[in-house]
Amino acid sequence: MTIEIIPADHFTIQELTDLYNQTRVDYLVPMPMNADRLNEYIHDFDVDLHHSCVARYNDGQVLGLSMLGFRQQTAWITRLGVLPVTRRTGAGSVLMNSMLANAAALGAKEIHLEVIKNNAPAYNLFLKTGFIERDTYLVMRHAPRPMTIPLQGEITWLNFDKALEKLETYPHHLTWINAIESMRNSPNTEGLHVRLADGSSGWLIYRNTKFTLRSTLSHLIMHTTQGNAEEVGIQLLSHLHTHYPHHDTYAENIHEADPHLPAFHALGYFTNFSRVEMRHPQL
Amino acid sequence: MAKILYIEDIQDNITFVEKVVKSRGHEFLFAKNAESGLELAVTSQPDLILLDLGLPDADGQTLSVWLKGNPTLASTPIIVLTAWTQEVARQTVEAYNLNGYLCKPFSLKELVDMIDSVLGTQAS
Repeated sequence: MTIEIIPADHFTIQELTDLYNQTRVDYLVPMPMNADRLNEYIHDFDVDLHHSCVARYNDGQVLGLSMLGFRQQTAWITRLGVLPVTRRTGAGSVLMNSMLANAAALGAKEIHLEVIKNNAPAYNLFLKTGFIERDTYLVMRHAPRPMTIPLQGEITWLNFDKALEKLETYPHHLTWINAIESMRNSPNTEGLHVRLADGSSGWLIYRNTKFTLRSTLSHLIMHTTQGNAEEVGIQLLSHLHTHYPHHDTYAENIHEADPHLPAFHALGYFTNFSRVEMRHPQL
Repeated sequence: MAKILYIEDIQDNITFVEKVVKSRGHEFLFAKNAESGLELAVTSQPDLILLDLGLPDADGQTLSVWLKGNPTLASTPIIVLTAWTQEVARQTVEAYNLNGYLCKPFSLKELVDMIDSVLGTQAS
């Protein structure tokens, strides 16, 4: 049977959600979604559904899907998955080739993606299609707990606009999900700035997402503008978690060499898993 | 007999755990997402919650915070049933102050032993 590619916008969000969840059912990190979360994901990360794809046999049996984000000549491949029963049929390669072709058609000069570390089948597929490894990032969590570190420094809380102003000055590479466009797309972006007595200073930008009943913190981006990153980071996180003592926190894509990592660990953050960012350099 | 709530989105897992729980004479309840799981926990006041970490609306860690944050559920034991690695499951249980974990795939005996152990601890 022949594998055909259908634009994802031919399907409803619920159909795409169901298909995505089925492709991830046996993953080490399943991360299922509901339709609301997928809608939010599509919006926040500029996913172009017309250039995203569903693979199926010509008899109509669905095999898998992949989504394409696009911003200013850069594309991002995400949510790639093949149903467990239809793996090793070539569907993954067909989807990847479609993503590359669609990215090129949109004018992409570079394509990024992230793969969970030790997901060898996916990693090898990406290598085979021309991607090279770039950097490793940590996905960490922090459970609410009493803060024991004495608070220091002068704190300024940043609203959406002020938070984005700070983020625009960030001097390092950010992965797609924490990029300024992603943070701008979410109304939940806010932040804080700290200045310590010795003149050290820095800021922390994050999302404070309201669920039906409670809120969570996520998408943390931290930068020390002056002084010791660990000391500034400890104060930023201590103030954050003192201000939001009941919020669960999910810190995605913190670079493995981020100088603030000791601060995260000092506050009780632990690593859930790692992601490898890869890019396709040949467009 | 205890009342056990399982919060899990995959039907095959629900079916397996339901058989185990009922075979031990316990009452079995389930919910397929975090929001309905929290609601059912509040209204049914289970003796034990079995919690999957990968849920479609909010993940299990976040849900455990919401469950523990409800005064009527603060002392309800929570066992994590997860596809995460042993080390991540252990760290999660420790950080979120939960009562135990089983990494998938787990055996019928492992699940029975874990339930008996946690319920026994609660009773004593």
